[in-house]
Amino acid sequence: MANLTRRTFIQAAGGVAAVGLIGAAPRDAAAAKAKVVVLGGGYGGAIAAKYIRMADPTIDVTMIEQDHNYYSCPLSNAVIGGFRDINVQKHSWAKAASKHGYKVIHDTATLIDPKKKVVKLAGGKSVPYDRIVVSPGVSYKYGDIEGHSKKISETVIPHAWKAGPQTVMLRKQLEAMKDGGTVIIVPPKNPFRCPPGPYERVSLIAYYLKHHKPKSKILILDPKNKFSKKGLFEGGWKKHYGYGTGKSLMEWLPADGGGKVVSIQPGSTMGATVVAGDMEDEHQGDVVNIIPNQEAGKIAIDSGLADKSGWCPVDKKTFESKLHKGVHVIGDASIATKMPKSGYAANSQGKVVANAVVAMLHGKDPGTASYVNTCYSFLTPTHGISVAAVYKLKGGVISKVKGSGGLSPGDASDEFKAQEAQYNESWYGSIMSDMFA
Amino acid sequence: MGHRKIRNLVLAGLMAAGTMALSGTADAAGASDAMLANTCAGCHGTNGVSGGPAIPSIAGMKKEILFSMMQQFKDQSRPSTIMGRIAKGYSEGELHQIAAFFEKQKWVNTTAATDAAMAAKGAKLHKSKKCKGCHEENGATQDSEENMFRMAGQWPGSLYLMMKNYQAHDYPNAPKKMIKRLKKLSDADLHALANFYASQK
Ligand SMILES: Cc1cc2nc3c(=O)[nH]c(=O)nc-3n(C[C@H](O)[C@H](O)[C@H](O)COP(=O)(O)OP(=O)(O)OC[C@H]3O[C@@H](n4cnc5c(N)ncnc54)[C@H](O)[C@@H]3O)c2cc1C
Ligand code: HEC
Ligand code: HEC
Repeated sequence: MANLTRRTFIQAAGGVAAVGLIGAAPRDAAAAKAKVVVLGGGYGGAIAAKYIRMADPTIDVTMIEQDHNYYSCPLSNAVIGGFRDINVQKHSWAKAASKHGYKVIHDTATLIDPKKKVVKLAGGKSVPYDRIVVSPGVSYKYGDIEGHSKKISETVIPHAWKAGPQTVMLRKQLEAMKDGGTVIIVPPKNPFRCPPGPYERVSLIAYYLKHHKPKSKILILDPKNKFSKKGLFEGGWKKHYGYGTGKSLMEWLPADGGGKVVSIQPGSTMGATVVAGDMEDEHQGDVVNIIPNQEAGKIAIDSGLADKSGWCPVDKKTFESKLHKGVHVIGDASIATKMPKSGYAANSQGKVVANAVVAMLHGKDPGTASYVNTCYSFLTPTHGISVAAVYKLKGGVISKVKGSGGLSPGDASDEFKAQEAQYNESWYGSIMSDMFA
Repeated sequence: MGHRKIRNLVLAGLMAAGTMALSGTADAAGASDAMLANTCAGCHGTNGVSGGPAIPSIAGMKKEILFSMMQQFKDQSRPSTIMGRIAKGYSEGELHQIAAFFEKQKWVNTTAATDAAMAAKGAKLHKSKKCKGCHEENGATQDSEENMFRMAGQWPGSLYLMMKNYQAHDYPNAPKKMIKRLKKLSDADLHALANFYASQK
């Protein structure tokens, strides 16, 4: 019945952008002054801020974001592969903030105090909230590999798992490497941001090497025995990069095949000696890219939002923390059961949380949630693959709707692959406008 | 035109079903129209206005068209790279809700730059190849009886791929006349037409 009222109202409003979520519901006085803080302006946060304002423009929304520009991780592997400019990855919040009427404070949040309902900032300010949406992404466990550190990642061995300066550094190292060199890529343990990401990166570095440094090789030292879209990646590697033959541009050592990295001795400007496997084999890498093991963004850990796993348990309907009331955690930092840690998932969760926050501020039930994920990857600039799913909440688990989603067909035509590469680019265009326009 | 009649009958049936789903309370416990439709925005843009260059804008699409396109994606009578996999995630009732949502959104023309010379060539082809007869007002019209969406102001990259696909794949629900004409066109012709329609407002 509430549903019918809402729908009738929407029709009467004949609305355009404002027809969002439950925003059309009549407001009560208390909610009219509600303050929402959105911590982090990435794939999750930028969406939460905008969609809360679209649903109810009376809510006061403040975003806290440490950086002045956002560099998108999705498609940043193409920068590393040498066929995309880093500036295409760069965005800012000004346009969306003024169009949708949310404020942005550029500062680093140091602590969320869920009792006093304030966020403390490095600059000294405290920002009060009625509800806070936290989407800080991931932090990196450098200590899992002996000899590694944050400093090393910023100077010699970039992880490039947050796009920006490290993306450019990794690209420059590849350019500086001699033909015949070895690139070592170390993917992280599960769970981590963007499960197909390391293997897309392998593909696009191989693409660069094939055309510019064909005597070179990529060695993947993996702490896992399988990985996302493995069949499609290996199929693509066979097709384009000689995978499985004597001339293969890449070799994959799984955990059981000596892939587990134990320690590194970094070079002075790039590369390292990498020690891996039970036999402590030494591998010489001219360029080394270690993608460290991950946990929730530091602010979430410091504020007691994560459990022992290092990730944040949430109610899947509202993304409200199971550890602290009034705090919602979305994106990579949250435990979203079957949804992977991806940009599309964070976007989808941003909309679910926006709806929930607005409803809860009005003292209403948020209703049923609907979620989607899609991850496109490049094997070459003209060969795209994807994995998709539509989800619903079932018994506390965000589960795939039966029959929905799945992988691109393994036997897809070249035309199909080329279209998926174009749709990868276009997905990026749309999701960026969803976040920043 | 037996073909047309049959489709109209099917459509009448679908519309009746749609009216029931929308006016009934059966979906009262389900997700709201906006909640469902917002799941599409990551690819089709906020409220269906695509960021381009290849995924089409769907804002303002008549609900009958969107609903039947989704059904065709689902049963694979409309070829797709990904929409088949997405469409299967929504029930018929949900697709009616999603369709109702997008119909209410305002169409926004593409921001893509178009090539004036190509557009001029496309304008000629639009007349000479008799696209004009069905795609009236330089492609700005929609025809909900025929599942024909607007092309004016659409992303040229998307229009081009659609025409390529009509040439290469089987579309049992599209007019044979159009397919026949499209198949005679060169790649350069398709680019010209895409530029023409995209440049229209
Ligand atoms: C190479 C690579 C390729 C990828 N490709 C894809 C892809 O093709 N498709 C896909 O769907 N996903 C992809 N991803 C994954 C995607 O980038 C993440 O899943 C997504 O960014 C998660 O969104 P988020 O909001 O959780 O975090 P983020 O987008 O990282 O946003 C977090 C924001 O919070 C800010 N922040 C953090 N802590 C604080 C603090 N204390 N104070 C203030 N601000 C703070 C950060 O500066 C940042 O802007 C890829 C990732 C990588 C690394
Ligand atoms: C992962 C990206 C993605 C998502 C999510 C997505 N679409 Fe699409 N959509 C596409 C692509 C790509 C095409 C072109 C057809 C193809 O190859 O799949 C398309 C085509 C369409 C078309 C045909 C438009 C025309 O003019 O011919 C419609 C209608 C459509 N989508 C509706 C939707 C709806 C409704 C949703 C949400 C329920 C949705 N899409 C979600 C990528 C997406
Ligand atoms: C007999 C009427 C008719 C003619 C003639 C015709 N079309 Fe179409 N067109 C349609 C219909 C109906 C559709 C929707 C078909 C479907 O279900 O895919 C359509 C769809 C399209 C689309 C896809 C639009 C979208 O968003 O899905 C394009 C592009 C297109 N036509 C281009 C052309 C061009 C170019 C010509 C001339 C060479 C042409 N058409 C001639 C009726 C026609």
